[in-house]
Order: sequence, then C-alpha cells, then structure tokens
Amino acid sequence: MNLGVVPTLALVVPKINYWAILPDLILIGGALAVLALSSLTGRRFPAIWYSVSTAFLALATLGSALYLWFDITGKHHHAFVAIDAGIAVDGFSQLITMLVAATLFLVALSAPGYLRREGAGGPEFYVLSMLSASGAVLMGSANDLIVMFLGLEVLSIALYVMAGSNLKAIASGEAALKYFILGAFSSAIFLYGIALTYGSTGSTNLASIANYLAKNLLEHNGVLLAGAALMLLGFGFKVALVPFHAWSPDVYQGSPTPSVAFMSSVAKAAGFAGLIRVFYSALPTLRLDWQPVLWVLSVATLLVGSVLAVVQTDVKRMLAYSSISHAGFILIGLVAANPSGIAGSLYYLFTYSFLAVGSFTVVALVAGKGDSNHSLASYRGLSKRHPYLAAAMALMLIAQAGIPFTTGFLGKFYVLAAATDAHSYALALIAILSSVIAAFFYLRLGVLMYAPDGGELAVAPAVASGSASGSAQAGSASSAAATALAGTELLDAEDELLPVTRKGSWFAVPDDRGGDPILDDPAMAGSGVALVVSGDEAISGEVVNGPGAVGELRAPEIIDVPSSEKAGRDIGAAISIAICCTVTVFFGVFPSMLIDFAKQAKLLF
Amino acid sequence: MPIGDSSDLSAYLPIVMMIVLGFLFAALSFVASGLLAPKRPTVAKLDPYECGIVPSKEPAERFPVKFYLVAMIFIIFDIEIVFLYPWAVVYKQLAGFGIVEMGVFALAVVVSFFYLLANGALEWGPGKRLRVATPLKESAERTLRSTIRKVSNLDKDSDAAA
Repeated sequence: MNLGVVPTLALVVPKINYWAILPDLILIGGALAVLALSSLTGRRFPAIWYSVSTAFLALATLGSALYLWFDITGKHHHAFVAIDAGIAVDGFSQLITMLVAATLFLVALSAPGYLRREGAGGPEFYVLSMLSASGAVLMGSANDLIVMFLGLEVLSIALYVMAGSNLKAIASGEAALKYFILGAFSSAIFLYGIALTYGSTGSTNLASIANYLAKNLLEHNGVLLAGAALMLLGFGFKVALVPFHAWSPDVYQGSPTPSVAFMSSVAKAAGFAGLIRVFYSALPTLRLDWQPVLWVLSVATLLVGSVLAVVQTDVKRMLAYSSISHAGFILIGLVAANPSGIAGSLYYLFTYSFLAVGSFTVVALVAGKGDSNHSLASYRGLSKRHPYLAAAMALMLIAQAGIPFTTGFLGKFYVLAAATDAHSYALALIAILSSVIAAFFYLRLGVLMYAPDGGELAVAPAVASGSASGSAQAGSASSAAATALAGTELLDAEDELLPVTRKGSWFAVPDDRGGDPILDDPAMAGSGVALVVSGDEAISGEVVNGPGAVGELRAPEIIDVPSSEKAGRDIGAAISIAICCTVTVFFGVFPSMLIDFAKQAKLLF
Repeated sequence: MPIGDSSDLSAYLPIVMMIVLGFLFAALSFVASGLLAPKRPTVAKLDPYECGIVPSKEPAERFPVKFYLVAMIFIIFDIEIVFLYPWAVVYKQLAGFGIVEMGVFALAVVVSFFYLLANGALEWGPGKRLRVATPLKESAERTLRSTIRKVSNLDKDSDAAA
C-alpha cells in the first residue's frame, strides 16, 4: 500500500463541441442569468419579466434544436456524437429537446397568472423549470449512462423543489417529501443498475455496450440482466409505470398545478427518452429478455391507470392516473421494438405533452384561489360559468380519450399499429380495452362540465361523497361569480385527502423582508380579503414576524368575489391553452407533418 | 473489465473487520456502562437540563430557523472546495481549459450565493424583524430561587430515603 503517491497519468481533456450542447447551454445559462439578475437587483423586476424571459429562452432553445435538426438531417450531414461520445446529436435527441422547450414555453406563459393569484412573484419557479428542462434535454441526448444519470438528477432535483414550492400548503410539502424520498431511492437503484451494467460490459458508453454485446456472448449474463432490471426500475419510476407509479397521484394532487403541468410532460418525455435509448439502442441483444417484462409492465400500467382513474373524485388525481395509463400506451411502442413503434412512441410523447399542459392549465384556472377546487363537483356547470375554458377542457379530454380528428387518436393509432406489426395482438386488444375504460372517466368529466348547474346527474357513486361539501359551494358561487375566471370559493376541504390551507408567498424565507405578502399585495388588499391572524395575544393586531416565523397565517376568508378577476385576464394561460388546442386539432386533422417528424427522429444507432 | 466468477474477495476483508469492530465497540460500551455504572438517581439529576439557566419561559412552538440558510451557505462553499481541490492537483495539466471550466463553475456557485443574499440570509441584525413575539417573562412558579430551593430539598429527600 503506497498511499500518498499519486500516479500522474496524462490527463486527456476531451474536445468539447459547444454546438452539440447549445440547447443545454441556453437553458442553464439563461436560468443562471435570470437568477443572478433578480438577486442583484434586489428582486425589483416585475414578475412578468421572469415569465417573458423564460418564454424567450425556451424559444431560443427550440430554435437551437431546430438548427441542429436541420444540420444533421441535411444532405451531406448525419447524426454524430460529441464530447467524448457522451452526447448524441441525432434526430431523437433534437425531438426531445424541442418537446421540452415547447412545454417550457407553454408553462412559462401560463404560470405568471397562477403565481400572482397565489401571491408569489419570485423567479424561483422559472429558474427551476429551466434547470429541470436542461436535465431533460441532457437525458434525451445522453449517449453514456453516467451522462444520463446526471441528466436524471438535474431533472429530478429541480422537480422535487417545484413540487414543494408552495410553502404554505401542507399538501405541497407532503408531495415534495414523497417525491424526493422515493425519487432518491429510484435514482440510487438506477445508479446500481449502471454499476452492474458497467461491470458486465466494461463500459458506460451506450454505443460501446451495444458493440460489446454484439461481439461477445456472455456465458453468465445474470449481472447484466440485473443491471438492466434496475435501470428499468429507475426509468419506470420517472415515467410512472405500474408498479412504480404509487407516488404519482399524491404528488400530482399536492403539487402546485403549473409544476404538475411541467413534470407530467417533461419528466415523462425524458424518462421515455432514456428508456428507449438504453433498451432499444444499447441493449437490443437482450430484447428477448426485456420484451416480455415490458409487455407485463405495459399491460399493468394500462389497466391499473384507467381502472383507478374511474374511482377518483379529485380531478388532479384522475389526470394523474390517466397519465399513468398514457405511459402504458407510450410503452407499447417500445414493446413492439421496431422503428415504427419508436416513431409512434415519440409522436405520442410529443402530442401528449400538449394535452397534459393544456388540461393542467385549465385545472389551475378552475382551482381558484388557494389552488383547492379540484373535486369533480367543482366542474359541474363549468360551461355556463366559463364557456371557453370548458370547451378547451372538453377538447383536451376528447383528445386524451382518443376520439378521431385529434392527436390523441393518432398517437394511440400509431403505437397500436406498431404493436400489430410486431404480432403482439393481445397487447393491442388490452390497450383498446383500457382506452374504452379511460373514455368513461374523460367523458364523465366532459358531461359534468356541460351539465346544468343544479341538476342531479347520475355519475359514479364515488362523486356523490365528494360533492357533499362541494356542490353547495359550487352552486352558490356560480350565481355569485358567474363571470369570475377563477372561481374563488374556498372549498371546505375537510373530506379531501390533503386540505390546502395557509397561503402566502412561495419560497418565503422564514423572516421575509418584504413583509406580509398578503397585506402587501394591493390586489388582494383591495378585494375584500379578511386576514385572520391566529389568536396569539402577542401578535394580534400586528404581524410581528414574517409568515413563517411566529405569526401564523390562516387561509384568508374571501368575503366577496373580487370583480377585477374577469374572464380573460390571464392572457398568458389563455394563449397557452389556445396553442395546446390548436396543436391538438391541427395535427389531428393534418397528421402527416408530425408523424414524418417523429419518423425522421432516428436514433444514432 | 467483466466480472469473472473467480473474483478475489479477500481485498474486502479489512472493511468487514472494520464493520465488525464498530458494532462490537458500540455494543460493548452499552453493556459495560449498564453493568459498571453506579445508579443513584435523584430528582435533580433527572430534571431537564438547560445550560445551568433556570427555564424562564415555556419553549416556543414555532421559532425562526435562520440557521438553515447559514447551513446552506456552508454547503455551497463546501461543495466548491470539494471541486477546487482536485482541480488544484491537476491544475497544470488542465491548463487554460481548466481555468475556464472552474470559472464557469465558480460563477454558478456565486449566483446561488447571490440568491441567498437577496433572500436575506445574512441579515441577522437585531431589531426590525427578529423581535421575539412572546416577551420573556418569568413565570410565577419557577424562579431561580425556587428552583435552587426545590433541588436542594429534593436532594435531601432522596438522600434521606436512601
């Protein structure tokens, strides 16, 4: 043992092609710049600037991905690897980058209205979403397991914070804790899978692994199979495949809705990108081993997702289970394991992200102040109160159910066609069955929105219990606030799983310098908000400390509906929803462009 | 290098011995303390101990935890040092590339520090915001004098009982 003697090997610095990671550089640099500017200027920017700059950076990312796309699909060019073969610049990675950038753009547009309503104005949400998006982009273009793990962590850690970003809601903290603990476990398991794969193939580079396995026949491939299984678990957690899905409904329900919109599409896209790259691209020699496993996972995900969504009374939970069921569909393309299956999965991912962002943006608007109206009952008669919102939501639900002339139908069609090409007819049949079950709860919500306000509608019995507290308030509120965009009635959430209570500034440091966010917010002060301070005699009358310190803030009681919150005020969210609807219908009617795009998004090898 | 079936596990023997020794040390300490230590409990010994000061008020239920911000600042710079040190070791070989990369890394660290500063992580000044909500007041039952008297009486009682 000669400790203390450091071997001085020649250090080889890899040649770094900065063009190859341009989308990532824009996102990370932009996030740092926004954070630094807001900190150095003492947070004097109006909150809308964060949104505008994030949207601009998202467009720049989209543009750089398009540039790379045209660069590699040009006549004399082809896909290439960069930075010591750690990054793959191929059509696949650029499609994932564009997907992530588009989602970031839509969320950046729809978030400011929500954040203003919830009394938050900082740059944190935007900075975290940009960093998370950079992780997703890195995962999509990783050609090395270590790079993929880095991307996974950058993506996840920002998402954990985004899930818990509403400090005043207990549910948000619970969601973040669940997501973090389970996510940390799944990351560790994924890392263990990488270690075992490295141990049995001698490389973490995906191309080298594929090459090694193509040339060598392992006599005992137990270690490699264990590694693949553990990596499958890590990806399965990220994209919420059954049986690794248990976190998803709780996290979706508790997290702030814009965070959910972001994570439901970006985390899924990044997770599936990694799954496809590792299994389809690097481990094709093990196909006979992983295909049956993915088949079982796909069937379980499809059935559990749709069946459990039926019994949910909370719309966010319902959409969480519906997204689980969508993950099952996307997996079908990988089970088919042919080029058309991969193209189908990519097409599904791309179109699903617009559906997810669109529907969660509507959910955020319907939820009202405090982000609490998520019961099915609060959607009753939505078409009377907010006809455009209801129409957009109906379109999103129809598309998710897979009705023709929407992208949702085509996504399902392409993956099922790939499955039948691969002769897995049973899987296709089960998928169609699950889609029939799923259509029930999508249409139930749609019918509920177009039901007359007071009328009793025979929906599932589970709804009745949820509407016990909700219907009275929804009924009274609908007459009082027929034009209010955000129904501001606070649901008495005793029977909900996790009541969202105290509100105040997000990310507030315990000793908030800016004073009380509620008292300082002129919009709230002018709209008849009664602030109830808990009955501690020392602080009654004046909030001595910040909201997190000693003074305990309860949820403000809304006395009357602020008349200023008219429909159409949240222009960003309206634009975001409009884009989602347009994409869904346009590419549903004229599908060839998008499916050609997905087919051209080839993997490097 | 693929793992063969004849991997040499003897290299791990020191680690196993270390784990066993660690467990043994902890277990033996507990057993020895239980067997050898004299047990003469008095009420004063069993009383809650608060740095020799008589508790003057009930503990607050919620109090500002500003320390976590200091802990975060510490972690930020700790991480920076963790990466600076290996860079310093191979500084010459990395040359210009290394300086640029470390500059970018240090920039990212500094931005997070700016963020903490903007959130008031170092504003510990007395006065405006850190006033204690409940005034310090000595409760009627528990004063310094009464506690000393109580403790001495209890000691006498327990000695008499013994």
